[in-house]
Amino acid sequence: MKDKTFAVILSLVVAAGIGVTAVLMVHGYNLWKEISIVEMIANWV
Amino acid sequence: MDRKKLIKQLAVIFAVIMIFVGIDLAIYSLFIVRVTSHHSPGMQKMSVEVADYVPFTGSESVCSVEGEERLEGDIPTIDGAAALLPIYAGFVESIYPEDSVIFNGEDYDAASAMHYTNTRGAYKDIVDGNADIIICAQPSDEQLAYAEQNGVELEMVQVGSDAFVFIVNANNPVSDITIDQIRGIYSGEITNWSELGGDFSPIAAMRRNKNSGSETALEKLMGDTPIKPDYTALFGSPIGFSFRYYVTGMLAEGGVKILTINGIEPTPETIADGSYPISGGIYAVYRKGETNENVYKAIDFMLSPEGQKIVEQSGYIPLS
Repeated sequence: MKDKTFAVILSLVVAAGIGVTAVLMVHGYNLWKEISIVEMIANWV
Repeated sequence: MDRKKLIKQLAVIFAVIMIFVGIDLAIYSLFIVRVTSHHSPGMQKMSVEVADYVPFTGSESVCSVEGEERLEGDIPTIDGAAALLPIYAGFVESIYPEDSVIFNGEDYDAASAMHYTNTRGAYKDIVDGNADIIICAQPSDEQLAYAEQNGVELEMVQVGSDAFVFIVNANNPVSDITIDQIRGIYSGEITNWSELGGDFSPIAAMRRNKNSGSETALEKLMGDTPIKPDYTALFGSPIGFSFRYYVTGMLAEGGVKILTINGIEPTPETIADGSYPISGGIYAVYRKGETNENVYKAIDFMLSPEGQKIVEQSGYIPLS
């Protein structure tokens, strides 16, 4: 694989990874804002 | 040579993918799973089925009395803590005009005389003039300072009480705790459940938002003892706190267990006679110098035998 191709693929993988992680974090934050501490402890297995 | 390089490149790409998969799995299992509510979507706010407590809908969750004189004229806007929603829904259904409550299916309309926010929002709203009566636990020092900065003095009239409770996951073998042990946990001196006779597992001491009713209750319980930051709360087995009826009545959450304090269970009897050591007052709060007579009429009703019946039938402890 050429270095340039490798760099492009790696960049895409990193970008996709950061994107998925960010979406998960935002989704979790939105859920966290609405849930009570009581239900969170019940879910904590 | 090229083949070696290719293998190296593929290994790097694979390793990066695995790192992200690991991070995302950790986020999912340590965070997303724990904050996913099992209540119906669209109707939840702090896990409470808000629609169950809308006055004038015939809901059995709202306890009210019939035959009371309804307020007329300038109807005071009422709001309060999430944990106390049943009480003020009952007051509203008993003495407010039916057309003063506007619920849009998910939340209360801005023009409604009844709102449902939470302790933080309610204390801000009463100072800012967006609410005229709020039903809450005691304010935090910060909330009192906000009122003072804005030239507002708050009057507080106790209308009932409830227990401040500590909760753990239902699978936690620990069932009893002392107040000193609670202070030890939240000051960071006690860090493992094995120190309390439980499993060898770190204690994830959970906290609430600053200025929420239960966080203020924790601060008052801790007194001068500093509360440790919550950095380790993702690991171990959790302990948290709330108010009794919010846990047992409103959420009826079977996945948690309320700890007894010094062997005393928080029941209406033990709270009323003071043997359960950490009960807290429920207050009707209004602005000092309020000129709307309906505010005083509403509070008089809350203190009347009929109003106290609503407090009791809603699941809280009436004034003795």
